[in-house]
Amino acid sequence: MDRDAFLARVGEYHKEGRRLALINVTTSVPSAAPAHGAKPGAEAPGAEAAAPAPETFEIVWAFENDKDHSLETIRETVTPADAVPSISEFFGAAFLYENEMRELFGLNVEGINLDLQGQLYKTATKVPFSHAAVKARLEAVNAAAAAKATAAAAGATTEPKA
Amino acid sequence: MKRTTMPFGPQHPVLPEPLVLDLILEDERVIDAIPTIGYIHRGLEMMVERVEYTEMGFVAERICGICSFMHGMGYCVSLESIMNVEVPERARWLRVIWAEISRVQSHLLWLGLGADAFGFENLFMHCWRMREEILDIFEKTTGGRIIHSVNRIGGVKRDVSDSELAAIVVKLDELGTAFDATARVFAKDPSIRHRMSGVGVLSADDARAVDAVGPMARASGVVMDTRLSGTYGYDRLDFEPVIETAGDCLARVVVRMREVTQSIGLVRQAVDKMPKGDGMALETKPRGNPTGEVFTRLEQPRGEVLYYVKGNGTKNLERFRARTPTFANIPAMIKLVKGCELADVPNIILTIDPCISCTER
Amino acid sequence: MANPFRLPMVPRALRNLVSRPATRRYPSEIRPRFDGARGTIEFDVETCNYCMLCMRRCPAAAITVVREERMWSIEQLTCIACNVCVEVCAKKSLTMSRDSKHVHVRSEVGPQGQRPGHEEWHGADPALTAPVKPAAEAPTSAS
Repeated sequence: MDRDAFLARVGEYHKEGRRLALINVTTSVPSAAPAHGAKPGAEAPGAEAAAPAPETFEIVWAFENDKDHSLETIRETVTPADAVPSISEFFGAAFLYENEMRELFGLNVEGINLDLQGQLYKTATKVPFSHAAVKARLEAVNAAAAAKATAAAAGATTEPKA
Repeated sequence: MKRTTMPFGPQHPVLPEPLVLDLILEDERVIDAIPTIGYIHRGLEMMVERVEYTEMGFVAERICGICSFMHGMGYCVSLESIMNVEVPERARWLRVIWAEISRVQSHLLWLGLGADAFGFENLFMHCWRMREEILDIFEKTTGGRIIHSVNRIGGVKRDVSDSELAAIVVKLDELGTAFDATARVFAKDPSIRHRMSGVGVLSADDARAVDAVGPMARASGVVMDTRLSGTYGYDRLDFEPVIETAGDCLARVVVRMREVTQSIGLVRQAVDKMPKGDGMALETKPRGNPTGEVFTRLEQPRGEVLYYVKGNGTKNLERFRARTPTFANIPAMIKLVKGCELADVPNIILTIDPCISCTER
Repeated sequence: MANPFRLPMVPRALRNLVSRPATRRYPSEIRPRFDGARGTIEFDVETCNYCMLCMRRCPAAAITVVREERMWSIEQLTCIACNVCVEVCAKKSLTMSRDSKHVHVRSEVGPQGQRPGHEEWHGADPALTAPVKPAAEAPTSAS
């Protein structure tokens, strides 16, 4: 991402008197992942053709104007290797969001004014929203659904005649 | 001078939910405060992976017990925006009425806790006794005292008849009169004034610099109220946001007190203005699965809550993010705590109205 | 010492001193819950047709239905009293009563190893009942 252009935009919003409303990260799970509720064994269309996608996250920064309630957003797509600049020089309150980005998503945010060194949340899984963790949970859910479906099918075939 | 580090929390008599602030003290003055949250992190946003979007509303309203109604409403309103569902008019008015009653309940709870923070237990119990009337209203109309489960995507599930609404307005007016007597205690009692006046002053510029929201900002003179945007049913209600300029703890108490009276007035207005009659449509069934994203902003009792919801066309949402007002006010809290005396720390922390369960979801 | 005549809470405190308490002597005195309060789910085994819609729509996964065995069960302590099962039941076999769940939460388990709060019903013998039409998707069992 273009660091200088990004910070210039953030600085403009700060000068306009906007308030930082949200910094949100979404783990962009690639479409090749099995969809929820898919029958076990079925593949999403085109799954075989897609190459393993890079692990990306979409970050949205939202700035709100309290007089007219308008919301301006900046969106960037990053990978865990990219350095995300902190906006805490303009918006001091951003440290909470940025520490969360680091701890829950594993993003590399640089220059936070109050750096909590990974001590903000105490989660059982470190980086619970990383691609690896999300995929592991998705697979567990699908495996459980598959096991339930095969058990039900086995039970049905041995059912006494009504 | 020697510095001591004292942990404030996670268990402390004034805190409704666990929060840790490592206070660095020089004698009795706080030099710095380092927050740690995460004691009540339940990973509710992660549940979108397992729970379908129709059922996620029940998870959303359980993010917090005090702000429960507006979390459920915010979730449903976000999904309605994404799926282009038009909510029937009576349902919209009912949501506004329940939301304002929920605000009264939340502020009464907080006023009680605020009094308890410096040991005024009599006043604490008295505020909570008044709050019981509101919880009875909720139990009669929604079925639950704290968790209401009336919001669905597309409307509400239960109706409140016009006669019941009139009875509710009468009851709220009685409560308002009783509350005025209590408000006089908050405004005039010398012990409250001694502990809260001039303590934890946040100037208007500082409030803007730390991006404070809600009564925290309004008590410092910043005019900020999401209900003014006129969305989600607030377009036909007339009101002025309650603003105080002193910026100290007492100003925050006064803002919440005046908002109780204001909300009772808003309920009366809403009952007057809503369409009357029986058997009106309350719910529009949504079709298909949600695709797209939305930013929804509502005014919860603690400030502006922002929901970011993203759907990808499947039965499970891709992202549900609730940025609650306490999350936005924690930097303000840390700023205020620096430089104050140790005995004032509980008061200051309580005046941001910390709802840590909302913050950590 | 502040002048007690200028403390605004004193009249209220004196009034509280001589009046009866605002609290109830629970559990000897119990206020019955209001009509329409969310309490406990009740099931009528006579009318159920085992379509399994309640199981599919329960957000807390508290209901288990096994159509082939005509078994319907609910974990009362998992139930969040959201009322969705009552709303979707086509046969009106489910109702929400206003009383709180009377479950003794101790560590005892039932004779089949059930958790406390587990309630189970068995319907009529499958051999005697008419075939049941499944609610939706492809039927896998012979009817």
